[in-house]
Amino acid sequence: MLELRPAGLAVRYYAFALDWVIRLSVIYGAAMVASVLGGIGMAFWIILIFALDWFYPVVFELSASGATPGKRVFGLRVVMDNGLPVTAAASMTRNLLRVADFLPLGYAAAIICLLLRADGKRLGDLAAGTLVVHQPRAESRAVLDDVPLVAPVRPLAPEDQAALIALAARASTLTSDRLDELAALAAPVSGDARRAGPEVTVRVLGVAQWVLGRR
Amino acid sequence: MMTPLRFEALYEDEWTELETCLDRLAGRRAHAMSGSHVSAARAAALYRRACEHLALARARSYPAYVVTRLERLTDEAHQRIYHHRELGFSRLRRVVTEEFPRTVRSHKWYVAVAAVLFLLPTITVGLLVYFQPEMILSVVSSDTAASFEQMYSPSAASIGRTRDASTDWMMFGFYIRNNIGVAFQCFAGGLFAGLGTVFFLAYNGAFSGALAGYLTERGLSHTFYSFVATHSAFELTAIVIAGTAGLRLGHALLAPGRLRRRVALVEASRDTVVLLYGVTAMLVLAAAVEAFWSSASWLNPIAKYSVAAVCWAAVLAYFVFQGRRAG
Repeated sequence: MLELRPAGLAVRYYAFALDWVIRLSVIYGAAMVASVLGGIGMAFWIILIFALDWFYPVVFELSASGATPGKRVFGLRVVMDNGLPVTAAASMTRNLLRVADFLPLGYAAAIICLLLRADGKRLGDLAAGTLVVHQPRAESRAVLDDVPLVAPVRPLAPEDQAALIALAARASTLTSDRLDELAALAAPVSGDARRAGPEVTVRVLGVAQWVLGRR
Repeated sequence: MMTPLRFEALYEDEWTELETCLDRLAGRRAHAMSGSHVSAARAAALYRRACEHLALARARSYPAYVVTRLERLTDEAHQRIYHHRELGFSRLRRVVTEEFPRTVRSHKWYVAVAAVLFLLPTITVGLLVYFQPEMILSVVSSDTAASFEQMYSPSAASIGRTRDASTDWMMFGFYIRNNIGVAFQCFAGGLFAGLGTVFFLAYNGAFSGALAGYLTERGLSHTFYSFVATHSAFELTAIVIAGTAGLRLGHALLAPGRLRRRVALVEASRDTVVLLYGVTAMLVLAAAVEAFWSSASWLNPIAKYSVAAVCWAAVLAYFVFQGRRAG
């Protein structure tokens, strides 16, 4: 029922890099304040570094969004293997095990583990039973107002209907040449088999609108 | 006939209502907050309806924008409905009074192995360095050895680490960062079939042993032992317990029994994470003691030793007796 799409190396790297920049700027900002306060400021600064090192991801993962700011920007989230929100124990485990994932240097163990697995888990994720997943993205709507409706010349299977509607949804993002090529493949639905061109495209998109339910 | 647009129009109201519920729960849309509060029963009912609609939309191959909208909606509602806070005050109390000492006891063989892995190198290297002081150079450089000697010399204003411009507070921060880092390494090393844990336990044991042997041989035993006696009650036990958690992970990987290796690992880490909560707390306590009590050179060594004895007794009693009764 619930579909989880595990995140790969690249997007997780970007999220990590962004989190790293955020942490670094907090540490630099705090250093300026600390240098004014002297000894006690330094103490809090060191404790802050410690807390950011170990608990920055834990705190954010346990918040409602289930993601650090970096992950949220890239549309990622940490969940349990079964899709439930991540538990405190699992979040602690996966983040403390960063030590192991880091070894021998530069998160090499994590990168190798992640590349070898289809579900994109690093060692910490394996032990904690967690996944980093993509949050579903909104898709553009397929309703085109400027297309005359055309009834299909033959009954269409559900998959064919879905493909037509998906084409209509992508129409605005494609170049007109490419759109014509793709529409030509679907031309039989409007009775234009083996023809191509802008006027065929308009008719195919018209069938898509009809299938969507504008009639 | 049911078409995608008709389907959308039919259920649009329910979906918008669920969206509003979720927005309110997340504290978005400040103006929505002024309305009535969200009814949990209503939100759950709407969530189930949205799940039904998602199943229908998928089965009927409805357009991607309808399916993904429903996916987002059910996904967010699912996260929201099953999200629960577990690190509240009552849970914290239960960890301290029951779960932590019980988990330590239920892993007593791992504790024993971790203690041996730590203490054996400590004693061996300690004796080696005591009888052959030049051995210290195979553990640390000559400069470091000299600085240790200077740190614990009775003439130093404060012991442990030299303090010119820095304060007790700063050392507190330093000790926390350093010691908790070591403890977490001992835990995480367990993922490499336990070898990492064995290495970090033995390495840290050997290092402390070398230091103790060297300083004893140099005749600085009085300052050194009165310095370490108190906070080591928390620090050494915490390191050993972190090692315990690491050994459990390693054991789960090497001998998963009837479980699959991955499942055994997940179970082991679920069982031992409470040990890490306890270790973190103990090391914060150890750092406070080390920074504010152990290093105070104006205190009489007798006072330090008595407090140390009380702390050791308290820590051991805590692990042996605390949380025995069901409660």
